[in-house]
Amino acid sequence: MFQLADFSVSFGTATALRRATLDIRQGDRLGIVGESGSGKTMLALALMGMAPDAAKIGGRLTIDGQDMTHASERTWQQMRARRVAMIFQEPMSALNPLRRIGDTMMEPLIVHEGLSRAQAQARVLALFEEVGIPDPAARLRMFPHELSGGQRQRVLIALALACNPALLIADEPTTALDANVALRITDLLVRLARERGMALVFITHDLAAVARTTKDIVVMYGGDMIERGPTAQVLAAPAHPYTQGLLAARPDPTVPPRDATGKRRRLPTLPGTVPPLAALPQGCRFSGRCSVELPQCAGTRPTDHAVDPDRSAACHLLGAAP
Amino acid sequence: MTAPLLDARNLTRRYRLPRTSLLHPAPVLTAVDNTSFTISAGETLGVVGESGSGKSTIARMVMAFETPDAGEVLFQGQNLHALSPYELRLQRQKFQMVFQDPFGSLDPRRTVGWSIAEPMRAIGADGDTARRTAEALEQVGLPARDADKYPHEFSGGQRQRIAIARAIVTRPALLVADEAVSALDVSVQAQILNLLMDLQDDLGLGILFISHDLAVVASICDQILVMQHGKPLESGPAAQVLRSPAHAYTQTLLKAAGVST
Ligand SMILES: Nc1ncnc2c1ncn2[C@@H]1O[C@H](COP(=O)(O)OP(=O)(O)O)[C@@H](O)[C@H]1O
Ligand SMILES: Nc1ncnc2c1ncn2[C@@H]1O[C@H](COP(=O)(O)OP(=O)(O)O)[C@@H](O)[C@H]1O
Ligand code: SF4
Ligand SMILES: [Mg+2]
Ligand SMILES: [Mg+2]
Repeated sequence: MFQLADFSVSFGTATALRRATLDIRQGDRLGIVGESGSGKTMLALALMGMAPDAAKIGGRLTIDGQDMTHASERTWQQMRARRVAMIFQEPMSALNPLRRIGDTMMEPLIVHEGLSRAQAQARVLALFEEVGIPDPAARLRMFPHELSGGQRQRVLIALALACNPALLIADEPTTALDANVALRITDLLVRLARERGMALVFITHDLAAVARTTKDIVVMYGGDMIERGPTAQVLAAPAHPYTQGLLAARPDPTVPPRDATGKRRRLPTLPGTVPPLAALPQGCRFSGRCSVELPQCAGTRPTDHAVDPDRSAACHLLGAAP
Repeated sequence: MTAPLLDARNLTRRYRLPRTSLLHPAPVLTAVDNTSFTISAGETLGVVGESGSGKSTIARMVMAFETPDAGEVLFQGQNLHALSPYELRLQRQKFQMVFQDPFGSLDPRRTVGWSIAEPMRAIGADGDTARRTAEALEQVGLPARDADKYPHEFSGGQRQRIAIARAIVTRPALLVADEAVSALDVSVQAQILNLLMDLQDDLGLGILFISHDLAVVASICDQILVMQHGKPLESGPAAQVLRSPAHAYTQTLLKAAGVST
């Protein structure tokens, strides 16, 4: 359905997304993981035709076989009304604080689908039921600030579902939520994707959340897609040195903080910090911080190498292996 | 056993909420209810719970920014809330705090050296600030010359190092860290957690470490206190709470923190 081929987004000399290649099919639940600045939101915006005006776009994006790379805003509006919707990290900023929830929800249905007020209201109530909002009729009259963070996120999910999208993109939907509320939101997203046969792109830096929610993942670093494959396999045995470092750095609640002798267990760390976009190495974006770096890494960009039939990683080490 | 560095006994804090009706008295919210814990030198207590569970309120009472409605905070045997303002000001150098937002807590118009030295000025001890500021910067892994730079010249992780430098410049015995790594990326978070462990080993700091993320708490804390709705739900040695959580709520926090489910 959605296809990115060598798709790039750059701002002058800074490349926020470099030659991304991605296929999203019906029923996919795909996680995009990476630390801040790795290009996750840029990828989401590109899939929505919402990349900033200042951005220079390269490569190709096709949706249902239609080339959307340089499509007009009008074409995109139609695409967004039918095929793809997005929810954001901070639901408050996506809801008008001065409007009742019901009005915000019903407007697109009345304007775009030509429903009557009564029809629109019935649809919204059904959507609220579907996403598990209790007492939906009362919620319609409320203002955004009267809802909890988790309920607001459910409202946004309902809003996104209103156009029956084939693809739902969720950009850090649980980052601002408490642990148990976040658990319920990820469960909801999985259920909705299953029941509706809708593809889900779940963007997060939370490895635990991506493990619960997705079937496949793509790991990003410095605007590059550096590793991909089935979520469980990639997280269990990452192939790319960056993914390995990221997983090791994540505290594991089952490992006690001190060893048997009472000595502290330090967390394994990646050396240094992510350089600014414009200062990223031309070759492997991770070179300079990588502990197993090869001479060609800084200058030559590694291509994807198969790890398993359905897994790959972009790292020169894997290319060198027999 | 020696007396603990910090002994918080039966802390309770209530807030009066705005009146919703003229006919009814203003509702009262018990933000922290009868909560006790101790921290020894060189030891870390982790307080974990979802937002609104009372963690920051505990921090404010321990820091003597707020007075409990019941209970007491004994720091090195002294009841902090019974001290005169002058005595409290002198004691403050011994307990310091690091907040979540390293940008919000540093004045963008001042050099970081100025911000780091602020707690020293606050206690009227500005004799050798330059030397102490340089020492604190080096302790958190930054070059002493960074004192002349401004906050915007640093990354989020570096700014959190600066906030920690400010907290240790007075050579405190207790550090209170409220969601101090929550806004950081995983790889930066690991660096800061290691830094806190190193400082603790070097300086013998007691740490009150507050977080909503049980995995983070598990990686650094000797003792864990789980809070829910202002009430202490369970507490004990970290290994024990994590291995056999007594409450379903703690199990939920564990589930949310685990990569393998
Ligand atoms: N309008 C813009 N102009 C220049 N750089 C931008 C712009 N928008 C985003 N970027 C840069 O693109 C990079 C990727 O950002 P983003 O996709 O938001 O990362 P993530 O969502 O993974 O945190 C960042 O380094 C960011 O600074
Ligand atoms: N100054 C205050 N006035 C009224 N209510 C407050 C105040 N400070 C905190 N609260 C309430 O007390 C409860 C505990 O808050 P807090 O200690 O900030 O929790 P946490 O740090 O665990 O998120 C919350 O319900 C919060 O809304
Ligand atoms: S390509 Fe080179 S620098 Fe990049 S991750 Fe592989 S070994 Fe490390
Ligand atoms: Mg983002
Ligand atoms: Mg708090």
